[in-house]
Amino acid sequence: MNSIDLKSILNFSAFRPEPDDPSASWRRRFPNERTIFFGIGRARLSWRGISRSGKPTETESVKAEPREALTQTADHLKSLADRGWCAVSLNTRYVISLETNLSRRTGSEELLKTNPRAILGGKYERAKRYAVTHNPETNSSILLTFDEDQTRKAEAMFSESGFRVGRICCGTYLLLRHALAETNNTKGSEQPFSSFYIICCEGAVCALVQDQDRWMELRSRTDVYEDEIGPISDLLAPFHSRLAPEIGITLVCDEPLPDLAERLGTAFPGRQVNDLSQPGLLATLMVKN
Amino acid sequence: MQISDRQIDDFKTDRKDITPPLPVVLRLVPILFYCSIAVAIILSSIFFIQFRLAIKKRDDHRAQAAALAAQTQQSKNERAALEAQIKKATDIQSWVSGSRPIQPLLVEITRSMDPKSSILDLRLDRGIDDPTQIQMGLKIGADSNKQLDLTLSRISSMNFRAFSPSQTLGRGILDFKATLVRKLPQNNTSAGETEGTVQ
Repeated sequence: MNSIDLKSILNFSAFRPEPDDPSASWRRRFPNERTIFFGIGRARLSWRGISRSGKPTETESVKAEPREALTQTADHLKSLADRGWCAVSLNTRYVISLETNLSRRTGSEELLKTNPRAILGGKYERAKRYAVTHNPETNSSILLTFDEDQTRKAEAMFSESGFRVGRICCGTYLLLRHALAETNNTKGSEQPFSSFYIICCEGAVCALVQDQDRWMELRSRTDVYEDEIGPISDLLAPFHSRLAPEIGITLVCDEPLPDLAERLGTAFPGRQVNDLSQPGLLATLMVKN
Repeated sequence: MQISDRQIDDFKTDRKDITPPLPVVLRLVPILFYCSIAVAIILSSIFFIQFRLAIKKRDDHRAQAAALAAQTQQSKNERAALEAQIKKATDIQSWVSGSRPIQPLLVEITRSMDPKSSILDLRLDRGIDDPTQIQMGLKIGADSNKQLDLTLSRISSMNFRAFSPSQTLGRGILDFKATLVRKLPQNNTSAGETEGTVQ
């Protein structure tokens, strides 16, 4: 035990998880500390400060290549975080797919991080990181495939700008899980739920069809839209003919997109649109968990 | 169907040496440490205050003791002065008491003086071995023995008899010395009575 260990015991930091401990929630890692949340799109960098009480501040964004934007605004952004710790939502170079018959053994989710080949078998690709969400009622799973190189580049980019990365996740995948959790909240299969999930995050769009608890179809694209939301309607249009008549729409965006709910109502006439979007929703989810 | 969104899949490159947080119960260690520091500070403050008070008390007691010692010394001095005065008074009282038997003799000697004579010196010393014998030394300013005879007759009338008398006359001063012995009432004429000689 050296002086640093003694200091960490005396200031109680030894009893808190380390700032880059992924198993701990953001609030436990940074109690009473300002941090910053970044959203990265293909040509867009957005950020929100996280106050000491864990509430996100107003969002700001720059339309530029993220590395350049970060270099130019680093001095200002570092003032928003006490020790420079940040959480990052990467929304490029990932794939969300619907898979079946993935292993669900105990500890398989941990094994997916350390030895994905053992879980994915032939679907495994090198230099990728994975996350999975299983459908508890069927054998289908949502698999997120993330480019490891992209992750390392993002880590290097933030490190060079003086930030310390505490968490990197895929915002679209996180919002999709949030939407599924918000709507599928009854145990068992007595009350099957159907919905057409539409997730929009930093220009990326993900659409999932759930029919009677079964995940039927999933489509995910990055860099679909910037300011205009027209491409979103175009991407989703083919689903119109394949959706069962009683299926409603669940819409979740990282930031509320003006007129998107109305446009979806027009594009999918007769379907109820349940808009779960809230300002700062993604940052709130990142901090809450 | 129920799906939880409590877990976030983190794609950050994990550091290998991440240590889990210490058990919550071990928070007692720093808490006790800080408590002990606080108690130590409080106790030190109390001890310091008590120390200062003790020093002040000690100084007060010392000053009080010094004042009392000075007062005692003053009382001792006063007592010594009083004792000295008492001794003087006792001596005077003793002297007065001791000289009472010869006071009538002195008065008689003084009354025996003729107006033309005067007592220049008169000493009456009681013998240490025999207090009944009185050594008398008398210097009279007179030109003849007439005054001495008168004085001796008055002494005799006081039932004293002069033994071993010696007298010296010169330049108007008569120096007479003798041992006076009280005569017993039944024995008025002692065998040892002698006449004085003039030198």
